[in-house]
Amino acid sequence: MTMGDAVADAEPLGAGAGTPPAMLRREARIDLAAISRNVRRLRDLAGTPHAMAVVKADGYGHGAEPVARAALAGGADWLGVVDIAEALRLRRAGIDAPVLCWLHARDADFGAALDARVDVGVSSRDQLREVAAAARGCGVVGFVHVKVDTGLGRNGVEETGWRAVFEDAAALEAEGVLRVRGVFSHLANAGPEEDARQVAAFERALSVAGDAGVRPDLRHLASTAGAIRVPESRFDLVRLGIGVYGLSPFEDATSADLGLTPVLTLLGGVVAVKRVPAGTGVSYGYSYRTTARANLALVSLGYADGIPRLASNRAPVSINGRRYTVTGRVAMDQFVVDMGTDTCEVGDDVVLFGDPATGVPSADEWADAAETINYEIVTRLGGRIERRYPS
Amino acid sequence: MSALSPTRRAVIDLEAFRHNVRTLAAVVAPAETMIAVKADAYGHGMVPVARAALEAGATSLAVLDIPAALTLRDAGIDAPLFAWLHGPRSDFAAAIAAGVDLGVSALWQLEAILAARGASRPRVHLKVDTGLSRNGASVADWPGLVRRAVEVDAAGELRLHAAWSHLADASVEDDEAALARFREAVYVAEGEGARFPLLHLAASSAGLRMPAAHFGLVRFGIAAYGVSPFDDATGADLGLIPAMTVESEVASVKRVPAGHGVSYGLTYRTDGETSLALVPLGYADGLPRVAGPRASLLLNGRRFPIAGRVAMDQVVLDVGDHPVAVGDRVVMFGPGGEGEPTAEEWAEWAKTIGDEIIARVGHRVQRVYRNGSPR
Repeated sequence: MTMGDAVADAEPLGAGAGTPPAMLRREARIDLAAISRNVRRLRDLAGTPHAMAVVKADGYGHGAEPVARAALAGGADWLGVVDIAEALRLRRAGIDAPVLCWLHARDADFGAALDARVDVGVSSRDQLREVAAAARGCGVVGFVHVKVDTGLGRNGVEETGWRAVFEDAAALEAEGVLRVRGVFSHLANAGPEEDARQVAAFERALSVAGDAGVRPDLRHLASTAGAIRVPESRFDLVRLGIGVYGLSPFEDATSADLGLTPVLTLLGGVVAVKRVPAGTGVSYGYSYRTTARANLALVSLGYADGIPRLASNRAPVSINGRRYTVTGRVAMDQFVVDMGTDTCEVGDDVVLFGDPATGVPSADEWADAAETINYEIVTRLGGRIERRYPS
Repeated sequence: MSALSPTRRAVIDLEAFRHNVRTLAAVVAPAETMIAVKADAYGHGMVPVARAALEAGATSLAVLDIPAALTLRDAGIDAPLFAWLHGPRSDFAAAIAAGVDLGVSALWQLEAILAARGASRPRVHLKVDTGLSRNGASVADWPGLVRRAVEVDAAGELRLHAAWSHLADASVEDDEAALARFREAVYVAEGEGARFPLLHLAASSAGLRMPAAHFGLVRFGIAAYGVSPFDDATGADLGLIPAMTVESEVASVKRVPAGHGVSYGLTYRTDGETSLALVPLGYADGLPRVAGPRASLLLNGRRFPIAGRVAMDQVVLDVGDHPVAVGDRVVMFGPGGEGEPTAEEWAEWAKTIGDEIIARVGHRVQRVYRNGSPR
C-alpha cells in the first residue's frame, strides 16, 4: 500500500458495472419503454416547445445513461444533471444531446464543461465571471443559464443581485464570450399561493434580464409538479425529474392518476424458508414476534442496499402474487417476511415495489413506511443491486 | 486544481480502523478476530479496509456472499474468507476454487457445494438458528444437516470446520438463552459424531459484553468501524475511533432578508436577515431526509441545524452573521473531535442505527484513504 492519501474513483455501480453472473438476487428491473412513455405523456401535458429530462444522481438510481437515451427517444430534447462530472459521463457514453448542469465546486472546471458542449447554470456573478474566463481560455462561446432564486432559498441569485448579474451577462454576450441561453429557477412546491408568488418573481427576473438586454431562448421554472399543475410556470421548457421515472410528486395523486407508469421494479430473492412456532422473535431486538405458527421467508436485501431500516415492520412486499409485510428489523443485508400459513421456495422472487397496476406494492407505500418521499426510495438504492433493462 | 463535482468526500482513517481492530482483538484474545467487510466494508471500501484489518491482527474476513469474496481474492488477499448468504444461483465452484470458507444453513446448500467441489475439499461452517429467525438450520433440521456433513467429512469430500450462529441482541436474557441453544446444538452435533475445530457466535455486541459467547473466534463488524453497537455507550466510551468522516464544502452563500423560505415546502423561514449556506450533500449521498428536522452539520467550528428539507443533492444551513465563504469545509459526521456530529448522533436523528448511516453513504461520495500504511 502506498504512503499518504489514496483516492478511489467514485464511478456509480449501476448500469454496465461488471456484476458477476451468479449471485444473490438483488435486481432493479427498469422499464425503459415506460421512461419514453412517461416523457411523452408529460411533454404532451405541458405543451412546451422543449422538455428536459433530469438524470442526476445516476438517473435517480435508475442508471443515467440508459434513462437519458430512453427519455430522448420519448421526446425530451434536453438533459439535466447536477454537476459537470455527471454531464461528462453522459458525453463519454456518446450522448450528444444538450445538457445542463447547475451545482458546482468553488474551483469548478468550467472549461471541461464548455469543451464538451455542456451548458452551465450560474448562480452568482462570481460563477458568471469564472465561466467567462473558462470560455476565453477554451476559445469557445460559453452557453450559460442564469439561475435566479424566486423563493426556494437554495441556489440562484437573490432578487437584489439580479440587475448586476444580468448586466454582467449582457456585457459578456456583447463581447462574444458567453451566450445566455437560459434563465431559470426552481419552485418550492409549497402550495398554489407560493407557486404564484414564485411565478411572479420569475417574471420580474425576466423583465430585469430584458432591461439589461438579455434575451434567453429558454426560460424555465417548472419541474414535474409545475409541468402538471402550474400552467403559468411552464414557459419554454419544463424540467422533468420524478415524473420521468413514473412517480408522482404529489401526496394526493398516484402515478396512475397522472397517467404515469412506475419504471423501476425492485426484486430480491428468497434465500431461506423456515417454519416456526407462535411467539418466535424475528431479527434483531425481537421487534416482531409471530402470533401463530408461521413460515418465515428470508430475503436477500437490506439497508446496505437502500432498503430503509425505518420501514421495518411496516413496508409491504409481494411474493408469488400475494402481499405481506416486512417483519422484524431490516438488517444490513437481509430481512424477514412472515408469510403466515402461506409458503414459498428458496429462489422465489420477492417484489418490494414496482407498478401497483400489476398488483405489487408501490414506491409510494415504501416512502410512507420509511417516513420519506418516493424520490429517496429509488435514488438511494445501493451499488450491490444489479440494474437490468429488459427489452 | 479544478473540480468536476462539488466536494463530497468520505475520508477513511485506516489507522483509526486498525486501532479499533487491535483494541477489539485484545479484548477477545485468545479467541481469534474475524472482521466483517461485507457491504463494501460498511461503505468504507472493501479492499483497503480488508488489508488494514489483516495488518492489525484480524485472522479472517467475513464477506457475506461469494462475489465479495472473489473480489478480495482478485485483489490478492489470501487470508481466510467467510461467505454465508447464498442463493440458488450462487457460484459455489468459484468460491471453492478460491478457497473460501462457506457458511451452510441448509441441506440444499451442502449438496450444491458437494456437487460443485470437483477434486477440492471445501471447508464449511454449519449455521444453526439460535433465535434470530433468519438464516441457520432450525433445531428440527439441525441433526439432519449435521449427519450429512459428518458423513461427507468422513468420506474426505469436505472439511467440517465450524458450528456457528448469530445473536439477536434483544436482551441479556435472550442472548443467554441463545447461547444455551447454541451449546445444546453443538452437543447434539457431537452426538451425531461431529468434531468442530472452531465454534463462533459473537459479533460486536457479545464480543464486547458477553465473554461466554467468545468461543474460538469473534466476528466484529460495526465496532471495527468505530461505531458503537450499543444504545448506552458511544464508540468513544468503548475506546474506539470512528474511521469515516463525511465532508463537503459550501457551494454558495447568500444574504437573505427575514421571512425567506428555505427548501421544498418552505417549511423553514428565516427569523431575521441572515446568510444561507448551500451544502452539496443530499439524500442521494446518504444524508437521510428523515433526519432533516433534527440534524446539524459542522461548519467553521460550529454546528448549524439544517434549514428546511433535505433535497436530493443539497441542504441549506442558516448561518446567521457568522463569516462563511464558498469553499469552507462542512462535516456531516466524523469521530467528533472537532465538535462534528458522529454517525451515532445521525442514527438518532434518522431513527436508525449507526450501521445504516455509514453503510448507505452514496457512490457520489468519493472515498479517500488516510494512513494507508501501518505505523
